[in-house]
Amino acid sequence: MKIQTAYFDEVEIDQTDILKFHHGLPGFEDEREFILLPVQDNSVFQVLQSVQTAALAFIITNPYEITAEYSFVLEEATIHALQITNENEVAVFAILSLKETIAQSTVNLKAPIVLNTTNKKAKQVILNNEDYSIRHLISSESKEG
Amino acid sequence: MLVLSRKVGETIYIGEDIEIVISEVKGEQVKIGIRAPRNIDIIRGELRQDVSASNTEAVIKSLDLFKKH
Repeated sequence: MKIQTAYFDEVEIDQTDILKFHHGLPGFEDEREFILLPVQDNSVFQVLQSVQTAALAFIITNPYEITAEYSFVLEEATIHALQITNENEVAVFAILSLKETIAQSTVNLKAPIVLNTTNKKAKQVILNNEDYSIRHLISSESKEG
Repeated sequence: MLVLSRKVGETIYIGEDIEIVISEVKGEQVKIGIRAPRNIDIIRGELRQDVSASNTEAVIKSLDLFKKH
């Protein structure tokens, strides 16, 4: 099927690649279907594009690229909602808020997106964990590294 | 919205398996106990609102940042 996107005009997508957010995302509860699109020449970041709303897209990244120490326990509610049977089928992403530069941009480590890669069910999980911030400055990591 | 008056120690059931207990009232603060199945998410309202605000901020306005590289 073809969809309209915010930054790539019309894109041909495979129905089986659609990520299904049963309850949408906080703030976007009616947006149930998204697709991952590559950012040109950049494998660290991807675009999470709404299937239904062309103007709605996020930049996501692998949180382990931002902070190697990143870890959290998958709650029963998430395992149940996404029908996760095996940890190998789980993928985790974090949403970026882009600023002037990547270093000034923030990443939401408090509310990662958890994806069951087998059935494509996904959910933005809110961690009960004081260690992680909703607006984690990316440059705070690159200085250390 | 349904509004119920409760005293300390009194409970409210939501459906068959979610129980809300008013465990303490002190000045402006109310302590609430919640018994619910583990497959139910329980999140503080302001935290969910903060995530919602962050998601709204995060909607891409431009991909120019990536084109410079």
